[in-house]
Amino acid sequence: MSNKHLFLPSGFIRTPLQNGLGRYIPQLQRITLKFCKNHGGSRGVRDFIETDLMEFAKTNPGTVVYLKPRRHRYPCMVAEYLNGEREYLSCHEFSRAEIQKWLSYMCTRSGIPVMRFRKYQHTDYPSIQGVWNPFTHQAPEINVAQFPHEILSKPVNNGPTATDQLIEIFKKTQIKDPVKPEH
Amino acid sequence: MLITRVLCSRTPNADGFWKRRRVFKLTAHYYGRKRNCYSIAIRYLHRALVYVRKSRKLKKRDAVELWQQRISAGCRELGSSYEALVRGMARCQIALDRKTLANLAIWEPRTFKSLTHIAAAKLQREPIKGLNDFSPPPAGVITRGML
Repeated sequence: MSNKHLFLPSGFIRTPLQNGLGRYIPQLQRITLKFCKNHGGSRGVRDFIETDLMEFAKTNPGTVVYLKPRRHRYPCMVAEYLNGEREYLSCHEFSRAEIQKWLSYMCTRSGIPVMRFRKYQHTDYPSIQGVWNPFTHQAPEINVAQFPHEILSKPVNNGPTATDQLIEIFKKTQIKDPVKPEH
Repeated sequence: MLITRVLCSRTPNADGFWKRRRVFKLTAHYYGRKRNCYSIAIRYLHRALVYVRKSRKLKKRDAVELWQQRISAGCRELGSSYEALVRGMARCQIALDRKTLANLAIWEPRTFKSLTHIAAAKLQREPIKGLNDFSPPPAGVITRGML
């Protein structure tokens, strides 16, 4: 899969209104379950409604559950989120357990569309000491320095120059006590 | 009734539409016939997928190179060098990776400066042959040998 996909946009991870920093607010606003009372493909949905729906509604008091029995239609669920996004899922021939899992998936999602995350971390305050700028490591004295300056105008000491090194080598090659020629 | 022809006939490929749709979803951002015509699109798609596979390693390599460049630039601004920082930190048993160091250099510059000082102080005590540093030892660093 290439990263320039049109159908899988990329973005940075985020939560709506810093959810979870204080109180966690489930982002699912309402869930609509559409099913047929007779058709075989809706059996899972019907079983779910008969057994697990009340428990689901009690554990998610912030979510409104709508049931739409429609004849001769395939079952589906539509989840609507607090930021206005809608998510459609066809539940045709799903089992009761599958529907429960997909419902819990819808509950835990925020309405932000599914995307490829470029980074798995996000922070609003990336720097504590202050972001680097060209003046971070400069001494503030240069603001009021008058150039040419005694210290700042001189080159930084980077050790012996090539000339100095050659002079050192030359001195080492010199003989201290030259032998006097005998006449 | 002659049933040979009936028995030998083959059904058309039922998956044709969906097979092409899988390709066109991936080539939707291409230019011209490359996005709309299957036999042309499939060629460019194959190349694109090959590049995707190859570039997974290259991306990691590029990232490491970028971090190394940034750390080197940060060190040189402070009068040190990348090699001095890394080798000094290794001797102090500070195991920070290049990603973290690059992030510190950008977002936490004072911490980065302290790390360069620590490495420089360590190398003053235990100099490495070939790694010459003639600047004065950084002030405010207390090493184990001093105490």
